[in-house]
Amino acid sequence: MNPVWIILFAPLCAAAIITLLTRKAQMLSALISCAAIITGFVLTLQLFAQQGNWMSPEPLQWLVVDNIVRIEFGATIDRLSILMLLVVTGVGSAIHIYSLGYMKGDPGFSRFFACLSLFTFSMLGIVLSNNFIQIFIFWELVGVSSYLLIGFWFEKHSAAEAGKKAFLTNRIGDFGMMLGVLLLWTNTGTFNFAELPAKIAAIPSCTLGLIGALIFCGAVGKSAQFPLHVWLPDAMEGPTPVSALIHAATMVAAGVYMLCRVSFVILPSETALTLIAWIGGITALMAATIAIAQNDIKRILAYSTLSQLGYMVMAVGLTGITPAMFHLTTHAFFKALLFLGAGSVIMAMHHEQDIWKMGGLWKKTPITFATFMIGTLALAGVWPLSGFYSKDEILLLALEHNKALFIMGAFTAFLTAYYMGRECFVVFFGKPRDKHAYDHAHESPWVMTLPLVFLAVLSIIGGWGSYIPHFLKPDEHAAHHDAWKGFALLLVPAAGFLLSAKIYLKADASDAPVKAALGRAWTWVENKYYFDELYAWIIRYVQGTIAMLCELFDRWVLQRLGIGGLAGTTSVAGKTLRLLQTGNIQSYAFLFGLGVTVIIYYVVVR
Amino acid sequence: MNLYATQLECLLVILGLGTLLTDAFRPGGDRRKLGYLLATLVTITLLYSFTLAPTADTFFHGMYRLDSFALFFKRLFLLATAFVLLMGAEFVERFETGVAEFYALVLLAATGMLVIASVNDFILLFVALELVTITFYILTAFLRRQVQSLEAGTKYLILGALSSGFTVYGIAYIFGTTGTTNFDKLATLLSAGGSGSAFLLGMLLVLTGLGFKVASVPFQIWAPDVYQGAPTPVTAFLAVGSKAAGFALLLRVMLAGLLPVSAVWMPVLLVLAAATLGYGNLGAISQRNIKRLLGYSSIGHAGYMLMGLAAGNALGSQAVLFYLGQYAFTNLCAFLVIIAVGREEIADYAGLGKRSPILGAALFLAMASLAGIPPLSGFFGKFQLFAAVIEAAQTNWHYYILAGIGAGAVVVSLYYYFNVGRAIYIEEAKDTTPIPVSLPVRAGLYVCMLAMIGLGIYQQPLVEAATLAAGIFGLK
Repeated sequence: MNPVWIILFAPLCAAAIITLLTRKAQMLSALISCAAIITGFVLTLQLFAQQGNWMSPEPLQWLVVDNIVRIEFGATIDRLSILMLLVVTGVGSAIHIYSLGYMKGDPGFSRFFACLSLFTFSMLGIVLSNNFIQIFIFWELVGVSSYLLIGFWFEKHSAAEAGKKAFLTNRIGDFGMMLGVLLLWTNTGTFNFAELPAKIAAIPSCTLGLIGALIFCGAVGKSAQFPLHVWLPDAMEGPTPVSALIHAATMVAAGVYMLCRVSFVILPSETALTLIAWIGGITALMAATIAIAQNDIKRILAYSTLSQLGYMVMAVGLTGITPAMFHLTTHAFFKALLFLGAGSVIMAMHHEQDIWKMGGLWKKTPITFATFMIGTLALAGVWPLSGFYSKDEILLLALEHNKALFIMGAFTAFLTAYYMGRECFVVFFGKPRDKHAYDHAHESPWVMTLPLVFLAVLSIIGGWGSYIPHFLKPDEHAAHHDAWKGFALLLVPAAGFLLSAKIYLKADASDAPVKAALGRAWTWVENKYYFDELYAWIIRYVQGTIAMLCELFDRWVLQRLGIGGLAGTTSVAGKTLRLLQTGNIQSYAFLFGLGVTVIIYYVVVR
Repeated sequence: MNLYATQLECLLVILGLGTLLTDAFRPGGDRRKLGYLLATLVTITLLYSFTLAPTADTFFHGMYRLDSFALFFKRLFLLATAFVLLMGAEFVERFETGVAEFYALVLLAATGMLVIASVNDFILLFVALELVTITFYILTAFLRRQVQSLEAGTKYLILGALSSGFTVYGIAYIFGTTGTTNFDKLATLLSAGGSGSAFLLGMLLVLTGLGFKVASVPFQIWAPDVYQGAPTPVTAFLAVGSKAAGFALLLRVMLAGLLPVSAVWMPVLLVLAAATLGYGNLGAISQRNIKRLLGYSSIGHAGYMLMGLAAGNALGSQAVLFYLGQYAFTNLCAFLVIIAVGREEIADYAGLGKRSPILGAALFLAMASLAGIPPLSGFFGKFQLFAAVIEAAQTNWHYYILAGIGAGAVVVSLYYYFNVGRAIYIEEAKDTTPIPVSLPVRAGLYVCMLAMIGLGIYQQPLVEAATLAAGIFGLK
C-alpha cells in the first residue's frame, strides 16, 4: 500500500477507535491520537527524503455514473503537497504532544483527541485531494471538526456561540466556492486538477474571472479574509492547542494552500488576481490596526494571524505562489509557537487571558519567555529568523508589482512589530499587576515546553538559505532581490519595537498615551471597526425583514394556495385511493381485469 | 453439467427437505436455534456462490442460464433468504405450530427464486413463478388463527391465481404465434419479422403477470392488504425477494426476449411507471400502520425501478439492479426493526430512539435511505435511475414528464418517511421500557446499516457487479 494512504487514514482510524472503543481510557486515547499523527510525520519525512521520485498513487474511481459524472478519490504527491504535509503533520505532532500537558485533567480529554484526529484527517484530505469535489468534501469536514473543537467547552455559552459563528461564516464562503466549482465543471466537464489546466484556455476570460472570484470566496471564509474575518477572533474560545493547530498553522492556511493548488484557475485572470491581492492587503492592514488595541493575549495573536494571512493572500494575488507558501510555512512555525507559548502563560496564570493582569513573568517562566520572544521576533521579521526571509519576499514582490500594496504591507509590518512588542513588554516585563497570581505562576511541564523548543528552532532556521522556495521551485532561480532592500526593510520592525518599548517598557505602562494620541481612531480599532455590530444589524434588519417577508409569503401564498392546495389534493387523492382499497376481493379482481383490458385496448386495438 | 449449473438450487432443496425431516425426528427441538443455523447455512451458500463463474452456455435444452445476471440475482435472493430465516427465528414465539415447516417453505420459495434468476424459457418461467407464488400463499396465511393473516392469504391466492391465468394464457398466445417459448429464439424471430396483434396480446398478458409480481399499477391492489396481514418475516420476503424476482423476470423477458418489440412495450412501461409512482407515494401519506406504509412504499419503489426499465438504456437496466441490491439491505433493516419492536402502529414507534438507540438509528437510516437522502445508498440508486431517464429524454421528450413525476414522488415520500423519523426521535414515548435486541438481530442490523452507509459512500463494488450483470443484454 502506498504510504500516503496511511498518512491520510491513520488519524481517521485513531478518531474512530477513540470514539468507539477507548473513550474511557483517557491516556490510551491520547497516545493513539499522537501515534497516528507522528506516524504520518515520519512517513512524510520519508517521502520528503525521496526528493523528486514521487508517484501519486492510483486514484480510486469513486463516484461514476456512466459518462455523466466521474469523480475520483485520489492523492496528489508533489512538492506543494509534501511541503504542506510536513507543516500539518510536523506542527500537528508538536501540538498533539503539547495538548497532553495542556488538556490534562479535562473531563473531555479523550473527546478532545478524537476531534483533533478527525481534524487532522480532514486537513490532510484537503492537502492530498486531486479534484475539486474531494477537496470540497474535506473542506467541509474541516469546517465540522473545527466547529467541534472551537465549541469544545460547549457548556460555556460563548464557546458554543463561537463554534456556531465560525461554522456559519465559513458556510457563506463555501457556498461561493461550490458555485465556482460547479461553474468550472459545466465549462470543462471535469473536476480533476490534472485534467483542468489543459481545458482552462477554452473558457471565456470573463467567465474564468468569475470562477476565480467564486473559488476565492472559499478561501475568504476559511482563511478569514475581510469581510468574513469575524469568526477567527471569536474562535479563540477553543482550547489553546486548538487555536495553535487550527487557527494559526493549518485550517486557516488551507485557504491559501487551496489557492496555490488551483492557481491554474486564478493566474490567467487579471480581474481575479487584482481582487485577491487587494482583499489580502486590506485584511493585513485592517487586522494589524485592530491588534494594537486588544487586551486578550490570544486575541492579539488572532488578529496577527489574520494580518499574516492577508500577506499570503496578497502574495497569491501578486502571482507569487512560492512566496505565499513560504510565508505560510514559516508562519505555521512561529504562530503555532506563539499560541502554544500564550497557552503556557495562560496555564501559569491560572487561566487568566487579560494581558493587563500579567507582568514580569520572564523570571517565572523562562523557557516560555525565551521561546515566545523568538516567535515574536520571527513574526516581526527580524533577521536572521524565518519570518524575515518570507515576509521580505512578499514585500519585495509587492514593491515590484503594486506600490500601494507595498506601502500597506510595510505599514502592516511596522504595526506587527509594535503590537507584538506591546504584548511581550506587558506580559513578560514591568511589575506584576496581579501579585497573587504572579506568586503562584510556574513554568509548564516538559511535555509543553518541549514542543515550544522544537517550534522555536524551526522558527529560527525555517527561512535559512531560502531552502523552502528552492524546494518548491527547484529549477527556477529564486528572484534575487538586492540584499540592501531586504535589510533596509529591517528598519520597519525596528521602528515598531522602539515605539512600543518607549510606551510599554516601564513599570506602570498603560494604553493611555496611545489613546490620547489616536483619539476617535482608538475607539474604532478597539471595537474592531464595528464589524460585528454591522453584521448583527444586517442580520437583524435586512435578513430579518427578508425572512419575515418570506414567512408571510410562505404562510399566506404558498401554504394556503400552493402547498395547501397541493397537500389538499394529495391527501384527497390519498383518501380516494384508500376508497379503492376496500378489502373486497371481487372489486379487486374487477379492477385487475379492468387494468388489463385498458392496456390491451390502448396497445392492440388502437 | 446440468446438475453443476443448478447446484445452488439443489443445496437449498436439500436444506429445505432436511428441515422438514427435523419435525419428524426431533419434534421438540429448539426452533429458534434451528432458524439461526439455517440462516448461517444459507449465508455460507451465499459465500460459496461467489466461487461460481458465469458462463455463456445454456442448460436444460436452452431453458436455463448461468450468466452474470443470473448469479447477481441468485446472490441477492440468498442474502434475502438468510435474513428472512433470521427474522423467522426471532418470530418463533408468535407462530403456534409448524416452525420447521415455515423454514422449509421459505427455503423452497428461495429455490424458486434462484431458478427465476436463470430462466431462459417461458415454460420454466411459469414453473418457477408458480413455485414461488404458491409457497407464498401458504406463507402469507401462516398465522392460521389470525383472521388478518388468513384474509391476506386468501386475497393473495385469488388475485395470484387470476394473474397466473393471464400469464399462462399470454404464454400460449406467444407460443401460438411464434412457435417457440425460448427467449433467444424468440428474439431472433422477432428481429427478423414483424409481430401481429395476437402476439402483442400475448406479450401484454405476460406483462400483466409480471406486473402483479412487482406490484405495478394497475396490478398493485393486493400489496397493502397482503403486506399488512402477512407475518412480518413473510412481508419482508415479499418486499425484498418476491419483488426482486419479479424484476429479474421483467428484465430478462423484456430485454432478452422481447427487445426487438421494445417500441411497443416501452411506452406501456413508461405510463405504468408514472402511475405506479403516483399511486404508491400518494397512498402512503395517510397510513398509520408501518407494514401497510411499507406496502405502499414498495409500490412506489417498483415505480422508480420501472423508470429504469422504461428508459431502456444500459444505465437504466444497471441502475435497476443497483437499486434492487441496496433496496434489499434497506428493507431488511426496516423489517428487522419491526420484528424486534413487535408493534405495527407508527404511533408505537414514538421515542424508539430512547428505548433502543440501535433500533431507532437503524429504522431512521432505513427510512432516510428509502427517501433517498445522501450519503445513504438509496440516494445513489435514485440518482442513477433519474440519470437514465434523463438520458432517455434526450431522444424522447416524454421521459422528462416521467422524471418530473419521479421527482414529485420523491418529495411526497419525504413526508411519510420522516413521519416515522419524527416518531422515533421527536415524539415522547408512552411506554419507556427499553427493548431488548438479541445478538443475531444486532449483527443483522449492523450489516444492513454498514451496507446502506457503505454503498452510499463507495458504490463502485455494487455498480460494477450490476454493470456486469446488466451487460448481458448488450444495451447502449
